Amino acid sequence: MTSVPAAPPSKMTIGRQGNYAGAVSRLAAFAADVGISWGLFTAAVALLSVATQLFGGTTVSLTHHQILAIVAVAIWEFLYFSYSWAVSGKTVGMALLGLQVVTAEGGRMTARQAALRTLGLVLCFLTLGIGFLGILFQRNRRGLQDFVAGTSVVYSWDARAARLRFMSHTEFSKQRGAK
Amino acid sequence: MSPNPVTARMELMAQQVAERVVALVLDAIDIDALLDRVDVEKLIDRVDVEKVVERVDVERIIERVDVERIIEQVDVQKIIERVDVNAIIGELDIDALVEQTELGAIIAHSTTGILSEVLDVIRAQGVGLDDFCLRWANRLVGRKVIDWPKGPPLLVDQEAPS
Repeated sequence: MTSVPAAPPSKMTIGRQGNYAGAVSRLAAFAADVGISWGLFTAAVALLSVATQLFGGTTVSLTHHQILAIVAVAIWEFLYFSYSWAVSGKTVGMALLGLQVVTAEGGRMTARQAALRTLGLVLCFLTLGIGFLGILFQRNRRGLQDFVAGTSVVYSWDARAARLRFMSHTEFSKQRGAK
Repeated sequence: MSPNPVTARMELMAQQVAERVVALVLDAIDIDALLDRVDVEKLIDRVDVEKVVERVDVERIIERVDVERIIEQVDVQKIIERVDVNAIIGELDIDALVEQTELGAIIAHSTTGILSEVLDVIRAQGVGLDDFCLRWANRLVGRKVIDWPKGPPLLVDQEAPS
């Protein structure tokens, strides 16, 4: 028997599809992306190490090559974010949280905008996070990376469908319980 | 009967004789042997069925039939009991049925239900916390958000209040 969530998506969340996304959802999505991308990078390095040991007899380790490691991580992160945004406007973390990057007008973003937005993220960190404050205080909830790329982040999650899913599930459970 | 008593007696006698003769003849006839000699096929061929049907008033017959009464007399439960449901199910090609209907999609949908529900809850919580943070951020700078746009112009109606 499947479990039923404790609470349905509230009426407040319905109709938010296409609205500017808030700071918490975006932060959670970013945290998930960092975890996922780091996990993938670590797995890739481990696989490469095993492969070189099997076929070449030498091991690959980035521990003693810090500059190389930093460059590799930077390239990987750049590819992870910019490729994801260019393809679908969302990373894995954003897909989980139901978010999507669109142009400032609401259209589909280009590959150039995706690359610029990734560089904008780096700028935000270089400003010690000040670039992110726009998400909280700017009227269109746009951070520095959004201004650089001409983008904004919206909810792409259909809360109305989610509520209907929940309600149908609850109704189904009630009917089964009555029998 | 004749008014003359003699003639009347003669007629009565003749009738009794005739009845007796007919009875004797009928007793003597072997009905089965007679029927065996009748060519039924030939007899049927000579019957003009179309003509007979034309003379039958079908509408009138249908009007006289009490369908409700017939249905009432039918023991549906007994008919159902005689149907071998297992045999029918055994003959069903379930794979073909799943392919031809949306049953496959429904099954696939039900298996992804738990993940969808978990994501729904996480996202709903996220939206709630987003609003909470936005309210506090605006309260911090002493600003009202009534006139703020809901979303990009292509995605939301800008006339609607936020």
